[in-house]
Amino acid sequence: MILETKHINKYFYEPEKHQVLNGISLQIASGELTSVYGESGSGKSTLLYILSTLDSDFEGSLYIHDRDIKELSAAELTNFRNKHIGFVYQFHYLLPEFNVLQNIMLPAMKLGKKDKEEIKHDAVMLLEELGIQDFAKRSSYKLSGGQQQRVAIARALINDPALIVADEPTGNLDQKNSDVIFALLKEITANKGKSVIIATHDPKIYQNSDRAIEMIDGSVRL
Amino acid sequence: MSKQVINSTNIFIAFQYLLARKKQSLLATIGVMLGVTTFIVMINFMTGVNDFLDDAVFNGSPDIIISAKQKKLSSKPIFGVRINSLEKVKNIDHLLSKENNIQSFAHQVISPAILVSESKQLPGSINGVFPSSEKEMVDLKRRLIEGKGFESLTEENAILLGISLAKKLQVSVGDHLKMILPNGKSMHLKITGVFSFGITTIDNVRTYFPAKTLQNLLGQNDAITHVHIKLKDRDDVGLKTELSQQIGAATIEDWKDANKTIVIGNKVRDILTWSVSFALLLVAGFGMYNILNITVIHKRKDIAVLKTIGYSAADIIFVFLMQSAIIGLLGALFGAGLGYLISYMISATPLDTSDFIIVDTYPINFKLVYYVLGIVFGILTTMLAGYFPSKKASKVDPVTIIRGI
Ligand SMILES: Nc1ncnc2c1ncn2[C@@H]1O[C@H](COP(=O)(O)OP(=O)(O)O)[C@@H](O)[C@H]1O
Ligand SMILES: [Mg+2]
Repeated sequence: MILETKHINKYFYEPEKHQVLNGISLQIASGELTSVYGESGSGKSTLLYILSTLDSDFEGSLYIHDRDIKELSAAELTNFRNKHIGFVYQFHYLLPEFNVLQNIMLPAMKLGKKDKEEIKHDAVMLLEELGIQDFAKRSSYKLSGGQQQRVAIARALINDPALIVADEPTGNLDQKNSDVIFALLKEITANKGKSVIIATHDPKIYQNSDRAIEMIDGSVRL
Repeated sequence: MSKQVINSTNIFIAFQYLLARKKQSLLATIGVMLGVTTFIVMINFMTGVNDFLDDAVFNGSPDIIISAKQKKLSSKPIFGVRINSLEKVKNIDHLLSKENNIQSFAHQVISPAILVSESKQLPGSINGVFPSSEKEMVDLKRRLIEGKGFESLTEENAILLGISLAKKLQVSVGDHLKMILPNGKSMHLKITGVFSFGITTIDNVRTYFPAKTLQNLLGQNDAITHVHIKLKDRDDVGLKTELSQQIGAATIEDWKDANKTIVIGNKVRDILTWSVSFALLLVAGFGMYNILNITVIHKRKDIAVLKTIGYSAADIIFVFLMQSAIIGLLGALFGAGLGYLISYMISATPLDTSDFIIVDTYPINFKLVYYVLGIVFGILTTMLAGYFPSKKASKVDPVTIIRGI
């Protein structure tokens, strides 16, 4: 098991106090691809931000690798996320000032475990695995949506994290690209032993996941 | 923590951001550069003028002057007027010889006189000096334009003139003058030297003439009208107060009284330099603030992404502060260079002698410390201005931004 939540509640206070997540208790197994699906507004994104430790303002507990996330300071949390979690967004969010290779290298340069040459080597390997090696030196904004999303996945993988969290990674792509990205994520799970959590409302994705969790109005139906 | 923050990756990111907005970065750099340039040019110029005046005035004039009090005008005018001599000069000498703060002192006999040259005649005054003590007071060698200095006053009819006075009388070294004293006595003089202190207030009126001859002509062999004092520490005002208490029938004036306009002028120039420089650096700082602020607003998404991939608030602050620092450093260095160039150009510009100072070119200081000061100020202002947007950037909440699309 890579991740466990206990009775997570989440409230927003704008425009008035309302509960968005309602007693979420989950266990996510290692090496599985788990989908979270449900209608728009059901709380998938909110849950994923919490699971990826970006949002620590919630009630209940979150354990990743058996570490209680709430016990980490802000700086420790940043490091923890850098090391153990890769995040892929619906919109690729590559940094336009940097070329494809540099974008992928950024998390590893921050981690500082390897020197620049090693990191570069890792990044090139990832590009090859994801089939975008030809774009290494290109500005990230000159790629198509599907290509950019692949770069984002490479970036999420560069530090070899155990957990990949993807919020509607295909939400912005056509069917063909969508299939490619999902296939990639499945491959990462199968071949690299990563745990992957995907929020989606695409049946093609959640029906083909190792496990599918439905969200309804801030609660999960297991 | 800081060791983690200052690393090549963060510096690399900062550079990428600067290069991505070349035009704005250039403008910000120019802003800082102009601020620093102005600061350096102003301070070089203003302190140059101040130092020049200080040198001319304080090395050309005594720090304290003791002079005889004007006697009440007698009701009936007398011919053959006697000049007012100081009383008890021996006592004053005795008093001064015991003082610690005294560099040197000298007696003078100053008398009104009319100077007549072949083409002009001018009312003025004659400074009768004792060459051996006067040369301890004034470094005339440095000021000599033509002819000889105090040593020539061994001839009893030798006179030295300030350059402006010599010009007005249309005379130069070797020419003759006639001097007419209030008692009607007159004498033919030979000009043995012409000097300049660089300021008209001195060069227009000052003469040096052997005191002995003057005393003889006046028929007052022991008359001393002034005692001039040079202090070791000019700002120690203790002596003036003490002298005022001990010497009754005399006027005591120090350099501050005598040079009020120059003292005030120096102050005004100081204030001007600092306030204008401060204002300009403020403008440059505001420019930096503005540009970085806009970057932070435009880059909120990127900042959010950096945060999700492991960059801490401290990293983000560093990345943005680094941009300020780079611009500040570049602007300050270029500013110092340009400041030097402009200062040099001003210092090489020929200058018509004005009513006040007599120089060939503007007096400009070239002190390294001003450049260091300008560069430090430039960088500090820019970084201070950059700090607030940087802080703002570090507070970007990744969830809010990423969700907000
Ligand atoms: N910052 C916020 N402030 C207030 N309400 C929010 C905020 N973010 C999300 N919500 C609300 O929380 C609910 C869940 O949103 P979200 O997690 O984005 O759902 P999903 O990703 O499943 O579409 C929605 O009703 C949404 O309006
Ligand atoms: Mg969502």
